[in-house]
Amino acid sequence: MIFKTLRHEKTNEIPWVPFAGVHAGKLKGYTAEEVLTDADKLVESLLEVKRIYEPDGMPITFDLQVEAEIFGCELLWAKDNPPSVRSHPLSGEKKIPCKCEIPTPDSGRIPLILDATRRVKREIGDEVALYGLICGPFTLASHLRGSEIFMDMIKDQEYVTALVDYCAEVACKMAEYYIDAGVDVVAVVDPLVSQVSPAHIDKMLAPAFTAVFDFIRSKGVFSSFFVCGNATRQIDAMCRTNPDSISIDENVDLAKAKEITDKYNITIGGNLPLTTTMLLGNQQDNMVEVIKLIDSVKDHRNFIISPGCDMPYDTPIENTIAAGQAVKRPEQARKMVENYEAAEEDIEVEIPDYENLDKVLIEVFTLDSDTCAACTYMLKSVTDIYDEIKDIADYVEYKYTDKENIARMKKMGVNALPSIYINGEPKWESIIPSREELIRDIESALKK
Amino acid sequence: MIDEKLLEEAKQSVLDGDKELAAKLARQGLDAGVDPVEFIEKGFVPGIMEVGDLFESGEIFLPEVMMAADAVKEAVGILNEAIEASGKKRGGAAKVVLATVEADLHDIGKGIVASLMVANGFEVIDLGRDVPSQKIVDTAIEEGADIIGTSALLTTTMTHQKEIEELLKEKGLKGKIKTMVGGAPVTERWQKKIGADGFGENAADAVRLVKELMGKKTN
Repeated sequence: MIFKTLRHEKTNEIPWVPFAGVHAGKLKGYTAEEVLTDADKLVESLLEVKRIYEPDGMPITFDLQVEAEIFGCELLWAKDNPPSVRSHPLSGEKKIPCKCEIPTPDSGRIPLILDATRRVKREIGDEVALYGLICGPFTLASHLRGSEIFMDMIKDQEYVTALVDYCAEVACKMAEYYIDAGVDVVAVVDPLVSQVSPAHIDKMLAPAFTAVFDFIRSKGVFSSFFVCGNATRQIDAMCRTNPDSISIDENVDLAKAKEITDKYNITIGGNLPLTTTMLLGNQQDNMVEVIKLIDSVKDHRNFIISPGCDMPYDTPIENTIAAGQAVKRPEQARKMVENYEAAEEDIEVEIPDYENLDKVLIEVFTLDSDTCAACTYMLKSVTDIYDEIKDIADYVEYKYTDKENIARMKKMGVNALPSIYINGEPKWESIIPSREELIRDIESALKK
Repeated sequence: MIDEKLLEEAKQSVLDGDKELAAKLARQGLDAGVDPVEFIEKGFVPGIMEVGDLFESGEIFLPEVMMAADAVKEAVGILNEAIEASGKKRGGAAKVVLATVEADLHDIGKGIVASLMVANGFEVIDLGRDVPSQKIVDTAIEEGADIIGTSALLTTTMTHQKEIEELLKEKGLKGKIKTMVGGAPVTERWQKKIGADGFGENAADAVRLVKELMGKKTN
């Protein structure tokens, strides 16, 4: 479906591309640093992203510091963020690095990313479009030169052009390595483009970007231009660099931006709010935000829904599930939101007297186990062991599609779907238990 | 009274981000015997505040703002020296401790805020980037600062702004030392949530906020 959208054809659904960068690690209990430095952990996390979030497209990594690190930028690592660049080798020294410094497939962490790409491609490459993310030439130039690059743009435009052109050569090489390893889309991620004027983009950056997008096209894969921050004024200039698609952040009005990208017949993706909705909101907020986004756009051709930028590590898993569910089944989500608003406390629901039940009661709360993958797996974790536990436990599923169930969830304070409650206690929220873990929880409830 | 033409040229030099010209005009003013305080406040400050507004409305971008901030820093530096040499002080100045929070290396925005604050006559102690909350609070106490301003550019480092509120509370200084927060992911909602005293969308906004907070300050 991503391919159809990127070929600018009509699709039946809107594609969903959650940018689970370091957040992928959260799904498997790994830190940001672990998934960005250990191929096994990265692959394991990415397979989980595919399983739980059912994306149409997904990034392998979202780390704009891979190239910079190879050029000698010192990194500050964090457990819940991609690393940041601490030092800039060209700070105070205006020069262009030697071509001999251009990364090879063996430099820095590139082998790890290529290895992960090949393995993920083998496992799920037929079902999901893999995005290889490279650092955009302007952001890479700023990593190398530091904040002086902004003043250079006014004082020494020739230098900026030369440095950005060099970084574009790096970008082409990176794109080539990722394409050879099997990515379907190369995303040129350049958050800093939002910080400079359209005139400066046209003059100093556009030729470099166009060269990268042309190169990607010549290799037979799709390209995307990712920008973070408020790029409202830059969208037009970005379109003129001729990528297949553009992905924008939350501070841009997507409907308005799409009017511009449509003129160029470029696909646009975006732009669920990262902090207020995905990180700090609840499942309702995420569904509402997706529906709002869908409704704001008239023509659903050339349209991808994704977070505004790299998802925060700690984004609640259930929020992403809810957002994905709303993208894939907007009418059902609309109904759920309506029901949520209608399900006032006065719908009578009886909460079981857990302490005096004959058997342990497992309650599985789902958005809808028929349509949401994470919900299906959550329910399946129970049905798979049912034969073993049926003498000591019963189970029941409550789907969010029903008003009465919503009232029950409100009364019990259930706010993450899917989840498993055992005798009224929340045990598993969004994370699906293994067979052993679930049996252990049921047995311990029995002993109480 | 300073010649209108000189004031206009000073303002324009900032709008153009022309550091050499701004410095030249500052010296020229001093040679002509103008009051440096008045020269800053009626010439250079209106220039940088207009730059702030143009940035806010999306007419200019980071390179232009950095050039302007650099120009104003140079001119105000020259004029401030003259003010000090004459033994005078700029009146009503606030003392502000500025820092980018721990584990966060973004300091372009905070640097611009610092330049604008200095231009506006505030005394600024800029602790740089990646600064632990404890150090920020300790410095504010030692220096007798009126305001702590912090910048955070990552959703994960924003939490340090909350930590600062808590440290101030522990020491019973909440409300005595005012706090203001800024940075790309920081919003007014976040400011209210953590109980900071103000939120600045951009550098010009931050300057207005300092003035407002100083007006409200009760010791």
